[in-house]
Order: sequence, then C-alpha cells, then structure tokens
Amino acid sequence: MWFATYFQCAMYQHNGEEIFVIDGHVHLWDATEENITHEGGEEFIQCFYDYHTTFTPEELQWDIEEYRKYGPERMVEDLFSNAATDMAIFQPTYLTDFYAEGFNTTGQNAELATEYPERFVLNGSFDPRDGDDGIEYLEELHETYDIPGVKLYTAEWRGESKGWRLDDEEAFRFLEKCQELGIENIHAHKGPTIRPLNRDAFDVADVDDAASSFPELNFIVEHVGLPRLDDFCWIAAQENNVYGGLAVAAPFAQNRPGKFSEIMSELLWWLGEDRLLFGSDYALWNPDWLVEEVLEAELTQDDRMEYGVEWDLETKKKVMGENAAELYDIDIEEKRRTFQDDEISQQFGLGDHYASEEPAAADD
Amino acid sequence: MTVSEPESDATSPTRAAVRDRLDRVTDPELDRSIVALEYIDTIEIDEGRVAVEFTLPTAWCSPAFAWMMAVDARDEIEALPTVEEVRITLNEHMHETEINRGVNDRLSFAEAFPDADGDVAAVRAELDEKARVARQYDAVEALLEAGLDADVIVDLRLDDLEPFEDETDDTETTETIAVYASDRSFAVTVPAAPIERYLEKARETDLVSAADDVLFRTPEGDPIDPDSFELVHQRGRLAGVNMSSQGGICDGLREARAGRLEESADD
Repeated sequence: MWFATYFQCAMYQHNGEEIFVIDGHVHLWDATEENITHEGGEEFIQCFYDYHTTFTPEELQWDIEEYRKYGPERMVEDLFSNAATDMAIFQPTYLTDFYAEGFNTTGQNAELATEYPERFVLNGSFDPRDGDDGIEYLEELHETYDIPGVKLYTAEWRGESKGWRLDDEEAFRFLEKCQELGIENIHAHKGPTIRPLNRDAFDVADVDDAASSFPELNFIVEHVGLPRLDDFCWIAAQENNVYGGLAVAAPFAQNRPGKFSEIMSELLWWLGEDRLLFGSDYALWNPDWLVEEVLEAELTQDDRMEYGVEWDLETKKKVMGENAAELYDIDIEEKRRTFQDDEISQQFGLGDHYASEEPAAADD
Repeated sequence: MTVSEPESDATSPTRAAVRDRLDRVTDPELDRSIVALEYIDTIEIDEGRVAVEFTLPTAWCSPAFAWMMAVDARDEIEALPTVEEVRITLNEHMHETEINRGVNDRLSFAEAFPDADGDVAAVRAELDEKARVARQYDAVEALLEAGLDADVIVDLRLDDLEPFEDETDDTETTETIAVYASDRSFAVTVPAAPIERYLEKARETDLVSAADDVLFRTPEGDPIDPDSFELVHQRGRLAGVNMSSQGGICDGLREARAGRLEESADD
C-alpha cells in the first residue's frame, strides 16, 4: 500500500519502534504588514526569516509572504498530516508594542487549541511590568483556558523598558501566583540575539535564583540559552527543576551535524536525558522535516567516547515526547487510543497508525 | 577581497602588516579572528592612510560587538609605526552610521549610542572571561597530553614556563614550551600555541601577570582545587562548544545572506 510505505518514511517509527512526538514549542503568528505598528515588528519577522532560511533545506524554504502569516489550516497540516508530531505545545509571544493585535498571543493560539484540545496544549504568558492588571490577566487565562504553563519573554520591549528579569521582586509575585494556581511549567525564552531585542535581556543568570526559590515549578529554558549554553548548563547542573528546550539547537541536525552532536553531547552530559524537550519553534522550522532530521541524527564516535552519552532509542523517546508528557501530565498510551479516531486522524487517514499496538509492518 | 597594493616603503605599512594586525582582532562572542571569519571586505593603503571595510554575518548583529570589532581594528592598525590615519567602515549593518561615525570620530560607545543602557566594557569583560575559560581547556588538554597529572597542572605558575629550543631537529619545527613541574623536579615540552593563546587572554583578564601567579583558574577566577579539576576542565570544554555553536549560527546566517545577495544580483 502506498501510504504504508509513506508512513514508514515519515516520522511515525524509528527503527521499527514508535516514538510519540510532542513538539514542545509551536506558534501561530501574525506578522502581516497590517498588524505591524513599530519598525521593531518588521525587524523581528525579518530576523526570524533569516533563521528560517539558514537552517531549512533550500527546497523546503517558505517565501516571506507565507512566512508572515500561515494560518491554522496550514499549521495543522504541517504538524500532523504526515504524523511528524502527535501533539504540540503552544508558546505565546505577545510583542504588543510591535504588533497591533500581538504577534502570537494566547488568544490567537486558542483558536486552534480549543478546536483540537486533544492535540494541543495551550500555554499562557505574563509580564510582571503589567502589575495588578497582569495578575488579573493571569487569573483570567487560568479560568478561561486552565493553562498548565506560561511562556515568558524577558527581552520584550514595553514602553521605555527593554526587558525584565525573572529574579525581580515583581516577577516573583507572578511566579507565586503561578504556584498558587497550579501553573507549573515556566518556559523562559533565552535564545539567540533577535533584532531588535537586547542581548542582555536574554541572559540566563536570572533563571538560577527563580528556580531555586520555586522548587515546585519547572523552568524550561527555551533554546538552551544559546549563545549562553555554558551558563545554562552550569545552572541546570545545579538546579534539578531546570530543563532545556531544544528549539534552535534541533535544526543544527540538518546542516551542522557535527555541531548538533557536540551540543547534544554537552546537554546530555550536564542535564541527562530526562530534562531535555524537543521543540521545532514552528514556524521558524517545520516539524514535517525537522523531526525526522533529529531522529536520524547521530552523535559522532568521538563525542560518544569523550562524553560517554548516547542518542539512542530510549533517549530519543524521552526527549521527543516522554519528558514533555511527564511535565504536562499527558498519558501517552491513552492519547494513542484517543487518536485512533479523532478528527485529525480522520482528516489525514492516520487511524491505522494509532490502531495497532505493534508498529505496522512495512506493507508494500 | 579587493586588493590595492602599493609598493611598501618607509612611509607606508605593508599589506601583510595590516592584515597581521587585523588578525589579532576577534569577534568577541566567538573568540575567532575577524580575518579568519572573512569579515574583511577591503583593505586600502595610500601612503600613511589605511582604510578597512568589513561586513558582519547579519545586519542585526549586536551593535556592541560590532563596535568592539571596529574599535579594535582601528587601534590595532594605528599601532603600526608608519600609519598616520585609519578609516574603518562597517557595511550593511542597521547601526553602521552610528558605528562608523563613532569609531572614526573617536566617540565613546555611550556617545555613539546615547540610548544604550550599560557600557560596552562590562560586555567585553564577560566575553573575555569566557574566551579565557575556553582557551584554558585547550592549554590544559595539551598538558594532559604531555603526561602531566591534574594535581601537577593546578599547581603550575607562570615562571614554570620557558620557551624551549629544540636543537635536535633542524627542519622547521613547531614552537614548544618547556613546563617545569613539581618544584622544577622534571619538565615536559608542549606545543607553544595553545599555551600562548591562553596566556594572552589570562593577561587581558588580569588573572595571570606576576611570575608566581597560579596559571589556571576556575571560570570564577579562583585557583583550582585538585578534586574539582575534572569539573573545571569540563566547564572549559563547554565554553568552547558554546562559542563554536554560536559560530555555527553566525556562519549559517552569513551564508544565507550571501546567497540572498547573489540571488538579487542575478535578477
């Protein structure tokens, strides 16, 4: 059957074993010119596009117009149609000083998340500079969507302010509120420089104090702090509630395999295999090719010898899905049963895949 | 690179000398020479006047880093005895106007960027410290390879190092350094390059200057306890991986930009 072969090639199985993939970092954004109110908004999306083209195989690159706004239908297709991912976690990025309606807000993400609640996890966000209104907004997100986590953008511009720190007194007030409401997963964007946001606002040092002050919360540092991988690993080695989100590190698998091997080796050495979460950063990169690249990637013989770590099936299962499932209380087996006939599986003919206990044999 | 080569004479620096000076300027985030990274577009020499143009991987590379490279390039070339005037031009950057004006008019970073918060000196110091840690890893690797143990390495001081002439070999040899260990009871020889590269940054960061200063330090700048030698060494490796990973990102962005420029030139 042609589709059995197709699935075999697509990302369903790896070496005959099923890997349940939870994409820990996706967006549904709007960077159309009509939505941009500040030059920072245009610079921001152009910068994203530079990252997109740099780490996407040439024939799979989008043009800038479709990159500005791709819409919910295309997103569902990119994520699920070839079963690249089984579930995805929305990580909002507000940037309301740059974009009239926001770049990628909880409300915008909710459009899709509430349509397919079994497939998406919807996170919220807070900004301590919003004070009491911000606390109220966080409560509202909790009541409306029962958000299990927040994505924080410490480098976000707000009026005169060019960013904030997780260890600020005001930020602690919000973290206390998260703890009180049971919002346990705190995703902090700490990544490469993004024009026009200041590099120093991506400093990871503030995670240290926050993580040790809130041991019941999980701190997931997105982009593993690059270009401060060293600071991030050192902090994570000491705080066992600090996790690494692989967005940005993952696409190295595609065109910098030696570097991917080195970065993964360091991460596995310092954090171990239980505290790393895969994320595509969609639409920065598309899981429809990225997942396969990451699963097929190998550590070099030298790195395996030197670091004594493995990127083997067990590790992949954890990093690609099980670790996120643990943080978000997702029962993977139950999900597999649900996905036998949910709307997405019907739409893309994935029912057979989820139906079999054992991976379907290559049937051609 | 465009070449405009004048005959070198007593009133004009040679092209090689200018290049050599520029080679000492590093991208502070990557700790690699801006010459090796191919940032330099042109070098023009007209008697005592030198003009250098350069381009970074993206138009939005950190203005603070761009500033450091531009200032360092100016100061390095100016140090040549026959140079009277240096003109630095950063191309295709969002802040090229501020940077070019600031560097050539000798403004401070704060004057060139009145709305920037914080000084460039602190950023430079932090990156120098990281570069020092990564270079220490390479130096210590060389010593381990030469057979020295951890407890010997953590005790080494600046005056335990001496240049070593290898007289048995008359072919072109790599420079070596003799390392006297355990109260000078024995010595080993190691390649000079990783040691000297380390010492350069260790001096810049004021960690090692006096003859009896302990050579190697933790990332925090303290002497190393033999029990934590392994961990400190792994942190050094990590610092190097971080910089080379960022180098991979910059390199990729540079290629993508070059590809786009080529495409638009074809249109």
